[in-house]
Amino acid sequence: MGKIEWAMWANEQALAAGLILLTGGIVGVAGTFRGWQFAAYAIAAGAFVCLLEYPRGKRNKGTSVERTGQYCFTVCVKSFGPVTRNYYVRAFLHAAICVPGGFMLATVLGCVCLGIASLIYLGAAIRGEQWEPILPRTATRKAVGESIKQPPQNPPPRPPAEMRRKRAEDLEGAAYVNPVDVTANEE
Amino acid sequence: MVLSFKSWVANEGGKHFVLVLWLGANTWLFLRTFLTYSTGQQYYYLYKMLGLGLCISRASASVLNLNCSLVLLPMCRSLLTCLRGTHTVSSRRTRRLLDKSKTFHVVCGVAICIFSVVHVSAHLVNIVNFSAGYSEDLPGLNLARYRGEDPRMIILTTVPGVTGVILVVILFLMFTASSYCIRVSNYEIFWYTHNLFIVFYIILMLHMVGGALKYQSNVDAHPPGCLSANQSSPVLQGEELETGSDEERRCKEEARFHPHYPQTWMWVSGPLCLYCAERFYRYIRSSDPVTIVTVIRHPCDVIEVRMLKRDFKAHPGQYIVLNCPGVSSFENHPFTLTTCPTEEKETFGIHLRIVGDWTERFTELLLPKPGVESEILPMVQQRRYPKLCVDGPFGSSSEEVFNYEVSLCVAGGIGVTPFACVLHALLDGWRQFRLRRLYFVWVCRELQSFYWFSELLCALHHKLWQENRPDYLNLKLFVSQTEDLQSMSEEKYRPLSSRLSIGRPRWKLLFDEIGNANKHKRVGVFCCGPKGISRTLHRLCNSSRYTGVTFEFNKESFS
Repeated sequence: MGKIEWAMWANEQALAAGLILLTGGIVGVAGTFRGWQFAAYAIAAGAFVCLLEYPRGKRNKGTSVERTGQYCFTVCVKSFGPVTRNYYVRAFLHAAICVPGGFMLATVLGCVCLGIASLIYLGAAIRGEQWEPILPRTATRKAVGESIKQPPQNPPPRPPAEMRRKRAEDLEGAAYVNPVDVTANEE
Repeated sequence: MVLSFKSWVANEGGKHFVLVLWLGANTWLFLRTFLTYSTGQQYYYLYKMLGLGLCISRASASVLNLNCSLVLLPMCRSLLTCLRGTHTVSSRRTRRLLDKSKTFHVVCGVAICIFSVVHVSAHLVNIVNFSAGYSEDLPGLNLARYRGEDPRMIILTTVPGVTGVILVVILFLMFTASSYCIRVSNYEIFWYTHNLFIVFYIILMLHMVGGALKYQSNVDAHPPGCLSANQSSPVLQGEELETGSDEERRCKEEARFHPHYPQTWMWVSGPLCLYCAERFYRYIRSSDPVTIVTVIRHPCDVIEVRMLKRDFKAHPGQYIVLNCPGVSSFENHPFTLTTCPTEEKETFGIHLRIVGDWTERFTELLLPKPGVESEILPMVQQRRYPKLCVDGPFGSSSEEVFNYEVSLCVAGGIGVTPFACVLHALLDGWRQFRLRRLYFVWVCRELQSFYWFSELLCALHHKLWQENRPDYLNLKLFVSQTEDLQSMSEEKYRPLSSRLSIGRPRWKLLFDEIGNANKHKRVGVFCCGPKGISRTLHRLCNSSRYTGVTFEFNKESFS
């Protein structure tokens, strides 16, 4: 029922997976375990994924909630144009990034989580979703003159409303002119 | 705004007390398990092999056990409604804690995530140590099959390893789908992933099968640190051998190790059975058919649906959950009741605002397109209404309106629905309530919205005037959009138009007025509306401006 936007969920997953990958990488390098080069790679890859996924995309329908301070990231990600807009690219990119993480124990979990995120991105791409940047709306303020009602045409003293109303039998004697023609029997 | 201690305790004290209790329980459990594993005699050899990772992983596991059992309890909504409604929990302060059940669930969930991270990290270190510290002396203790076995192979070939990976994946899916953003925009993702909890719990109960961590079962016969028959004491080399103590320290037999009996099921099975029973009960209760009696279209995209169901009892302020198979088989949407069934009239009703695709589709099934029929007339029973399942009623904080002497109800837009039910109860089903004065503030964006309940408000106002209780209901209506001059021109709605103000309400002045008129009383503040209003009201309730009056804040979460 209704359009589910899978990309939003994939975005949350990819951000979390990036953080997990980053943490695993830091642990791996700090302990200089066997295969710590993979851990160093995981730090870089995790940081990259976090930066790419931090700006949330715009929803198709409804209000989009931004993450705090995401505007500068939005600008950076937007500047890559179709590469970052297309979710197929993101899906394959995440799949490629996650593979080296599987070679070291500390980064295995990050690899698995990023793999799941890449699958969901693939699903979103197949459904035709795209990343739209959330840009601040230029607030259009109504000109003050339009909201104030038109000032009266006649100078004071003004006759009461019954006198002012145009009577059908005496169209010429009225104090104003209709922009649209009216007939006597029109309600 | 300066915080007042008395107001803060009245509003926030209960919640924080429960939080402190919960934190204390978690801390005690963590420390107790940590100390057991670091100083216990039966874990001496295991601790030597694995080190600190053993203690941290087991301690976090016991905290996870506690939180996995607690996290289910706040979600047993029918049970909580019973506790609230039958006044089994007699103190109002304790009943107010039930309002925060969803928050408690979230807190336990976050704790589960954090401690899972700790647990997994510690166990990864354990696996590395199992592999690197393979002990030839104590073969029974090893998890690895040989020294230096690849830790990833250990994970994939043991039951705890495989179940652990599956649990982490499920937890990852559940956690990432639970953020506020996803719940607001794509509620189905949240709902379906959260229903994976049953898989999570079943696998959790199987997680300890296979026993990776073993304790020593013959501590008396083989005190840890004793010397085996062919070992000489390294400390006493070169010193006088004291044969007496040396004999005592010889082992009588080899150390024997036994895997742990899985304990998680003891923690988790009770709440899990309770929750499953509750879901089953709700399913049975909602399968009873509901007859739609009338459907009325109101201005500003609101329709009113009146229904009839056998054996349906509800109190003002409760809400129901609708499921319409004709629209979507699995979606359930909560709506507050605006009319409760009474002895005279058995129908109950909801007002729903058409926003989102479920409500749009539901309205299409109920009503013809606008323009074909006149808007306010009720439908003639030519139409076949869709099948509707109603689950509920469930309790909410607005049930407490009658339990205060003075209540302030603030409604924003469609948030007026719980209070509409309260007003209906005052109009039709008058009993000796504890409530002596009701301040009703309704803020809407458009003037047309007030027509949803204009009849009800005028009828109640009229009735109270006739009974010479004009100060019982203090009505204030606000229209927040100030662009066009608006007024309710009908003569019969004169009580409303004379109490209508243009522009947003000024809450401080309102609270001053209520505080001055009701000194030395406890005023219940009920808010159902946008976050901005509820935050402002919450802050005002906690502030110290009003001497002698305590404002107790109750928020209805309208998600």
